[in-house]
Amino acid sequence: MTDVGRHPRIELLTYSEVAATTGFVGNFNVTVRRRARYVDEKECTACGDCLEVCPVVVPDKFNIGLSTRKAIYQPFPQAVPSAFVIDMEACLGHNPIACGKCLEKCEKECIDYDMTDREVTLNVGTVIVATGMDVYDPTEQDEYGYTRYENVITSLEFERLINSGGPTEGHLVRPTDRRQPERVAFIQCVGSRSQQRGKPYCSNVCCMNTVKDSLLIKDHWPETDIKVFYMDIRAFGKGFEDLYQRSKALGVQYIRGLPGEVEEDPATKDLILSVEDTTSGQLEQHRADMVILSVGVEPRRDMESLKGLFTLSATSDGFFMEAHPKLLPVDAPTRGVFFAGCSEAPKDIKDSVTQASAAAARANILMSQGRISVEAITSVIDPEICTGCAICANVCPYHAIIADKEKRTPAVVIEASCAGCGTCAAECPFGAITMRHFEDAQIIAQIDAILEEDPMEKIVVFACNWCSYAGGDFAGISRLQYPPNARLIRTMCSGRVDQEFVLHAFRKGAPLVLVSGCHFADCHYIDANRWTQRRVEKLWDKLEREGIRPERLQLEWISAAEGQKFAKVMREIEELRKAVTPEEVEETKRILTEKAKKPKKKPKKAKKEPVEVAKT
Amino acid sequence: MAEEAKFKCLRCNHEYTDSYDPDKIEERSCPKCGSNSVRRLKEEASKG
Repeated sequence: MTDVGRHPRIELLTYSEVAATTGFVGNFNVTVRRRARYVDEKECTACGDCLEVCPVVVPDKFNIGLSTRKAIYQPFPQAVPSAFVIDMEACLGHNPIACGKCLEKCEKECIDYDMTDREVTLNVGTVIVATGMDVYDPTEQDEYGYTRYENVITSLEFERLINSGGPTEGHLVRPTDRRQPERVAFIQCVGSRSQQRGKPYCSNVCCMNTVKDSLLIKDHWPETDIKVFYMDIRAFGKGFEDLYQRSKALGVQYIRGLPGEVEEDPATKDLILSVEDTTSGQLEQHRADMVILSVGVEPRRDMESLKGLFTLSATSDGFFMEAHPKLLPVDAPTRGVFFAGCSEAPKDIKDSVTQASAAAARANILMSQGRISVEAITSVIDPEICTGCAICANVCPYHAIIADKEKRTPAVVIEASCAGCGTCAAECPFGAITMRHFEDAQIIAQIDAILEEDPMEKIVVFACNWCSYAGGDFAGISRLQYPPNARLIRTMCSGRVDQEFVLHAFRKGAPLVLVSGCHFADCHYIDANRWTQRRVEKLWDKLEREGIRPERLQLEWISAAEGQKFAKVMREIEELRKAVTPEEVEETKRILTEKAKKPKKKPKKAKKEPVEVAKT
Repeated sequence: MAEEAKFKCLRCNHEYTDSYDPDKIEERSCPKCGSNSVRRLKEEASKG
């Protein structure tokens, strides 16, 4: 960190937060709010004279409340820059000045009570999101007595306790009587791998953190009796199994079973753990001087604001979603934004460093090239047709379209930001947007070809490139049996499926249409498939109003790994297709054809046919 | 604000009641057959 602080080409903005961002890859404008430190960080030498005179004592957040600090403080001993900051909520010397002792004591006159937050705007080419994670609060798991028994602590609190820079200077003591514990118990998976409480995923780091902690205790206090209560130990990293075996060889007992309850002996403050050892099936009780809850990690609680700032999306576990889990694991869906560390998923230091290096390299590739190749599949807006209604800008998941609804000026696509989902083209009510390589005419031609012969026997399926189409591929290579009359039309995203495509298929005699895409959490275009759902819901209403059974339009979210689901859905909708009669199809064709013939209200600025625009 | 709403599966015709937040778009699946073709029954729509 010190190296970073001293680097001539790195500007470190600490005690700051991103307030707003605009722009796109190569040209992001990031507004950073620099919070007032009330201490001149360039002048302050962290001599500590102010600490001696500050009369305010508050819990030290860095030590998780296990020690105290003054109202003027250094966030942690190795903080960069090495300068103090005033906690104004605790300080007595601010508006009106009642204390001012630090002000009098500071010879370098670094203290400034009137300092205010200020904003700086940076123009940057790429952004790396490395915002870290939060830890699970075990309060809800009351059976472990975290809020009732002082000697029950979390793994993070333990980390501070045995740190040489921590509140006890590295001495292992239990909180109630400050004596060295002779029996220590670790409870694993607190807040992880649970469908009921905490998070359903494995937090990745807790097992090895416990193994490391157990080795630290054994190194310093070999006589300590250590028991680890676990579901299963996940020691899958390089050298981790060796550490686990070393820990066992040093006498650490691993008991397979999570305690159902922790109780305190009121006289001794010892803790009694009731547990079923699942290897023997025996109900057991174990006594410990101290219990350490190995708490899981979870996404930062301010993820939502970050998602909005950088147009990011999250996977079902709440962490940021990468552009592709295998091929672009450090890239965000927004071009020019990369992830490092636990913002993307729980990971240990080694994996975080690996990902950070990869993210820096990915960013560097873009920066050193000085130019980018844009997607071939991007949208193009015809200004002659565009009415400036700004619907496209509203639906674009990447904020890649600039439109001014008030001025009604034609919308403009920022090609560097456009990812090519096609949602804008599907939503544009005036046909002013063309999707390169997935033009309306191309898709309509596919529908026509599918329904040219025996339309009653066919099922028209719109499948997104990344998930549903791949799910169909997976069903195929897995040799899964499903009716062969489904005809797939691939679009990059289900968001591209214009309602006119569905209506055209019905007009051409399709008995059944399926629109399918990624599951919500997997959408490769941030949240484009939410627009698919909205559109299909509107279509169901529309069909019903016209006297057409909405059941004939089906919707399904199928992931690339769900080959079996794909085959099952195809079998199910084939049954629905069989129930559609030729008379019903003919009636549908008649209704929709008549509807299409009715003249539509012309938009104000429509001057050209969209197809002509596509050729330009 | 979440409210109760009626839903109908357009795959198996199962009708059920579930919470519904008009400000939030959620992935829905039929509790009976698992299909995502789940339609919220609005008053006007359900009359038809």
